[in-house]
Amino acid sequence: MKWIPEYRDDVPRVERFNLIARITHWGHTVTFLLCLFTGLILFLDGVDWLAFIFGGYRGAGLVHRIAAVGMTIMLLFGLIAGFKGLIAWMKDIGRFGKNDIMFLSIFPLDFFGVPMKFPPQTRFNGGEKMNSLVLLTMVTLLVLSGYIMWFPAIFPAGLVRFSYPVHDLAMIFSTLMVCMHGFLGSFHLGSGESFWGMWKGTVRADWAQHHHAIWYEETYGDKAKSEEE
Amino acid sequence: MARSLTNLYDVSKCTACRGCLVACKDSNQLPAVIEPFKGNYATHEDTNGNTYTLIRFIEHEDPVDGVRWNFLKWQCMHCFDAECMKVCPKNAYTKTEWGATIHDEDKCIGCQYCTYACPFGIPKYRKRTDTVTKCTLCYERVEEGLKPACVRTCPSGALTFGYRDELLQQAEERVKMLRANGFPRATIYGKLELGGTNKIYVLTDTPDKFGLPVEPKVSANTWVWQDWVQPYAGWLIPIALAASATSFVTNRILDSKKKNHAEGGHE
Repeated sequence: MKWIPEYRDDVPRVERFNLIARITHWGHTVTFLLCLFTGLILFLDGVDWLAFIFGGYRGAGLVHRIAAVGMTIMLLFGLIAGFKGLIAWMKDIGRFGKNDIMFLSIFPLDFFGVPMKFPPQTRFNGGEKMNSLVLLTMVTLLVLSGYIMWFPAIFPAGLVRFSYPVHDLAMIFSTLMVCMHGFLGSFHLGSGESFWGMWKGTVRADWAQHHHAIWYEETYGDKAKSEEE
Repeated sequence: MARSLTNLYDVSKCTACRGCLVACKDSNQLPAVIEPFKGNYATHEDTNGNTYTLIRFIEHEDPVDGVRWNFLKWQCMHCFDAECMKVCPKNAYTKTEWGATIHDEDKCIGCQYCTYACPFGIPKYRKRTDTVTKCTLCYERVEEGLKPACVRTCPSGALTFGYRDELLQQAEERVKMLRANGFPRATIYGKLELGGTNKIYVLTDTPDKFGLPVEPKVSANTWVWQDWVQPYAGWLIPIALAASATSFVTNRILDSKKKNHAEGGHE
């Protein structure tokens, strides 16, 4: 059985994510998962065994805070070092249009493995745009509400109380997205190639052309090449 | 539910001697907490991990009556519908049959959700034990047939202990008497507030003059969080996981029929 599409360097490949984007991405992955598993101890009942992995409730609380600071650093790193990339990312999200709506409406079938014919997509398809938007918002909310709950003395009591449901809801929506994103970006056969885009930085050119036709044409297509020359 | 046993605190009889504070510390074996002088008679600003009860001193200027100086014994109100109990992720809070809200330190992990959910902000974190603490209504003493330590020591009779229904009658009579004798705004606090608290105050003035919330409310945030987010919204995550697992299988079944979708995905 095949887990993820194999990495092939015998076919032409194109760059999809630069090093800064990849560092930011995996930095968030590690810190997010640490925060998630230490945080779930308080959210769920009967997961005391999770606490023991981290050395008890105190240890889990400490790991949660350290990982949270790590996540904040990754956020700031992405914002500062990857500013150009962030703007490009935002701009691409802003290109949400008819093709994305069509993508989203037939995507559920593709998700379960039915081969579908999608309209051409920009660098990020309709689903990825949604994922980007939700995760960006939710992680920002998580960080903000987290610090408010961490230092309640310097914030008004109403804001502290408000932060608890916000933190929980943001956790739920971001984890929902992370589950889908993690699956689609690896084990899903159709889109699994994008895993290599984030791991090694490049994807197969034919895959990029097929899945992100508009982006491919604009970046690596004949027109882009002729402009470069 | 058995008849509630509770504490009645009559402000009009209190001399602010703070015997209750000392008796509480003695009975619960709590060390002294010395706070810096803040320009008034109050020994403590608020409850803390080692101080379950204290006397608050509230000065206010009234255009008619001039300067008024109010005392208030401040501690857990033992709400019947206790917020601390609702938000505690480890279920450390329980209600005794007779209405005391008690907190099990062995279950407490010191997360302090209760501190911020409590409409009065009573439960406080104690570093020494890494837990939250608060007034227990001396449930160990009461269950042995004794009165709470604060009541036992009160020299002026401001504190009485007994059945809640009887004490409420007593309080109402006292309020009537006070209203007729120079305290027209005298009132009972804790009878209806938050659906009733297992701690009753007889006040000589409106609650705001004693630093009490006039209409204490359960924050909508707590409600949304505990009654909606916690029980239901979390199910989105297992749904996402289940969908991914299904997709993992169906992808491979359908792919085996159609050869090259994974291979660059060419039709």
